[in-house]
Amino acid sequence: MEIQKNSFTGKSTVLALEIERFRYSGAESDTLQSVDLELAPGSLTVIVGDSGSGKSTLGALLAGMLPRPAADECRGSINLAGQRVQYSAQDSPRIDVAGWAKHVGLLPQEAGHYLSRIREIVAEELVFSLENEGATREQMHQQISTLSQRFSLGHLLKRDPAKLSGGQERLVALAALSVSDPSVMVLDEPLAGLDAEATVTVTEMIARLRSGGTALLVLSRTAGPWTASADAVWTLANGHLHKANGASIERNAAATAVQRSPIATDGRTLLEFSGVKLGYPKSEEPAVQGLDLQVRAGECVALAGANGSGKTTVLKAAAGLLKPSSGTIQVSAETGLLLQNPSDQLFERTVLREVTFGLPKKSAARAKVPEILAQLGLSSDADSHPYELPASARRLVALATVLVREPKILLLDEPTEALDIWGVAALRRVIDSVLAHGGAVLFSSHDQNFMDQIADRVQLMSG
Amino acid sequence: MSPNLLLPEESATRVMRRRLLAITGTLLLVGTYLTLVITQPMGIVEGLGRGVALATFAAYLAAAVLLLLAVLPDLPVSTLTLIPVALALNIILGQFVGSVMVPLYLDSIGTVLVGFLAGRRAGAATGVLSTLIWSLFAPTVLPFAAGAALVGFLAGTAARFGALRRPYFAPVAGLVAGVLVGVVSSPVAAFVYGGTSGVGTGAVVAAFRSMGDSLLSAVTKQALISDPGDKAIVFLIAALLVYALPKRLSGSFEFIRRHRVLGQRGPK
Amino acid sequence: MSRSISLHPFTVLSLAVATVTITTAAGSWLLGCAVITACLVLAGWVGRLQRLVVMAVAILLPTFASLLLIHGLVATDASALIAAAGPFRVTTGGLETAMTLGLRTAVLVVVGLLCTLLIDTHQLVAAIDLSPAPPQVGYLLAASLFLLPQMAEKQRAIGQAQTLRKAGTGRGLTGWLKRVRLRAVPLVLASLQDAHDRSVHLAARGFPAAGAHTRLRAVQDSLIQRRIRWVALFCAVMGPLVILAPLWGSK
Repeated sequence: MEIQKNSFTGKSTVLALEIERFRYSGAESDTLQSVDLELAPGSLTVIVGDSGSGKSTLGALLAGMLPRPAADECRGSINLAGQRVQYSAQDSPRIDVAGWAKHVGLLPQEAGHYLSRIREIVAEELVFSLENEGATREQMHQQISTLSQRFSLGHLLKRDPAKLSGGQERLVALAALSVSDPSVMVLDEPLAGLDAEATVTVTEMIARLRSGGTALLVLSRTAGPWTASADAVWTLANGHLHKANGASIERNAAATAVQRSPIATDGRTLLEFSGVKLGYPKSEEPAVQGLDLQVRAGECVALAGANGSGKTTVLKAAAGLLKPSSGTIQVSAETGLLLQNPSDQLFERTVLREVTFGLPKKSAARAKVPEILAQLGLSSDADSHPYELPASARRLVALATVLVREPKILLLDEPTEALDIWGVAALRRVIDSVLAHGGAVLFSSHDQNFMDQIADRVQLMSG
Repeated sequence: MSPNLLLPEESATRVMRRRLLAITGTLLLVGTYLTLVITQPMGIVEGLGRGVALATFAAYLAAAVLLLLAVLPDLPVSTLTLIPVALALNIILGQFVGSVMVPLYLDSIGTVLVGFLAGRRAGAATGVLSTLIWSLFAPTVLPFAAGAALVGFLAGTAARFGALRRPYFAPVAGLVAGVLVGVVSSPVAAFVYGGTSGVGTGAVVAAFRSMGDSLLSAVTKQALISDPGDKAIVFLIAALLVYALPKRLSGSFEFIRRHRVLGQRGPK
Repeated sequence: MSRSISLHPFTVLSLAVATVTITTAAGSWLLGCAVITACLVLAGWVGRLQRLVVMAVAILLPTFASLLLIHGLVATDASALIAAAGPFRVTTGGLETAMTLGLRTAVLVVVGLLCTLLIDTHQLVAAIDLSPAPPQVGYLLAASLFLLPQMAEKQRAIGQAQTLRKAGTGRGLTGWLKRVRLRAVPLVLASLQDAHDRSVHLAARGFPAAGAHTRLRAVQDSLIQRRIRWVALFCAVMGPLVILAPLWGSK
């Protein structure tokens, strides 16, 4: 590893980036403007930004995956491994992504995307890049045992990479990234969507990487878990990078507590599970057994529990997608379910068409669409393609398609996942309005904070 | 450690080798086809007919594999990851669509889609590979790989010359592609299998046979009835799917940008 | 009960090729039926008989029907006439042709499917990766086999999501078109986006390999198996030539 002395600060720097501007091919405005960054070995730098702020673009630039030659516009330079790569309006260099990855590794937000998913077991997945380099079998076996010791992965080595949980996927991807011992690692939302236990494991692994001298750059929606250990915290907004001050970091915590009128004790029961057993046709183990649950009008109930404890299954059953194999489910009002993955249902070319799809012309529901979009903060995106929106807004579009049907019982599967603070605020407005109109909300979540703030009660699922 | 952050330029000998493979594959395909049409071997069951079956099978398969080897090293990774998706789409969409409408196969939507998005080489590779992989579940499709390569190649060519700039150009291009594909694939059906693999198509061939046609001309006529319509619909569906893509995604394909495949609809 | 065969995938494939070419060239009823029976016995021995039969029948039934229509129903040969009505002529020769062709296809189908059932796909991918074939081939095979069930699952999830929003319930041609669009567009969009997102990381991990590449997984092989492969491939080419050469003169 070559470490360059930087003459200005006197600190050693492994990577220095100076981007004047970056614009995607065909885009109408710059995604990044005058972004300068220097990373020292063993440092932890955090960049905080909302969904769509350009974090992922910055990550891809650092990893050499952008700009795409003859497409994106980029001006600036990157100093890496003793080389200076210059981007100018006329020509972007053709980057050897594999060579670059030996110096800068990128863990994508969706860690599963990093895995090749063509290998049968995790051990093979770990050395995929070594296989492509033509390493010998002995070298690979040695690497695997080193990695599994360093990151305590022994129990995962023989597992099928396609069947890992979100946290395990991230561990394996991190280990696979560190195979080539890059001097810089860029981690995009490394803790998003993890339960408490997985958060601890991943955080530990990141600490080990850092103590090994790797410069770490974390891209995150919130600075929360990183503030204590970070060397520097920046915020990225509208393509500009600013040194973060305390107030802007803590703005998330300032979210107000719920102020709802107490539920009338005689509230009508809208949804009732009694002694319900649920299972999928192909698996022998039932996903849910002996579930008793009542949700009354005006009530907001959270489903908590580890991954695989059947939270999603319960929601699907409430929406009528699954029939219980024993017990009864009584649903006495219109339901609307927001699934976890918005891309399963979005298909129109614009947000407006997507949300109004299937509604008869001149119907009352159609007239309410602009109001719903405004409630969710999507009014300005009405003409965008749903896929071009940031993940947070895309999730809200999917929520809008549920809301136009005016469900009395709102069912939400991991609603805060992928939402930025604006998105969470919009979600809370929606939940409050459903409850205020005499409806009920049942949601599954990993987000302890959100559950504490919004739920009237928590149903723990034990699996 | 000497870091190589940038890519080297491409060497001329590799380009030559690939071109040679592509030419050999094409010649083998055209040569086999012409030999079969000109000599019109008689008797598909007894004696030499068995040799003709084996030779046709081998020549068509070898041609497809040569074409695949010629284009494969050229394809960027972004195209390579597209090919498995195309194969799955061929099967899944083919099943979904085919289960409703009877007389068409519609098993090349993914191949055409890749041709439209990534060009004719990628399309041809997708055609061959998806046939090779599908043959694991249905070994009889193996010699039709060459026809599938042609579908992908023609889809790419059509897109390059503007078939996607207007929605109604696409089915016309599909019609033309269908004629070519039908003609090229017929000898396989006639000389290797002695007929078709479906009841509906079999009935049409039987009808032509009863009017006194030779097996090859009956099979070719049947293909000329089914294939153009089938490919026209497939090209249209694939075109509509391409239109539905967000511009950022469609614009990420160099082929689309360079040849202005989408015209006004596409990225600037 | 399921046993497995620990042969190198290429050994299985080359034996299969030789079997198909020689059986086809010989064109004998007896040999064809013997090969099919042998395959069924082998499938039974490894516990995959049912799958083999189901898959083979699904392909062969329409093929047989088509061949009977083409050769059996409108025969043009001069052999003994069984029945004739209008344009239809059923002859012994025609039926024989149809059956022989059907048997030829059946051998190909049964032997081919047996290979698929005998070979472990991960071993096959590793064998391809370790062979001189371009590195892309192994990836494409593995990725396709992995993606197929996954996208079928995705297709079901999309169907569920659309049911939830009560979309795609129309009738008639327009309803059908709408349903196709509701199912196809999210599937294509999501899977193309996914493929696009993955490709950069795949490139970052050095795929496709520019030079020599290796595999962690070892594929069992032996000198005997290598020899068997060469002999099988030699037979696959020479067998038909030897069988068919005498017929050149007799034509």
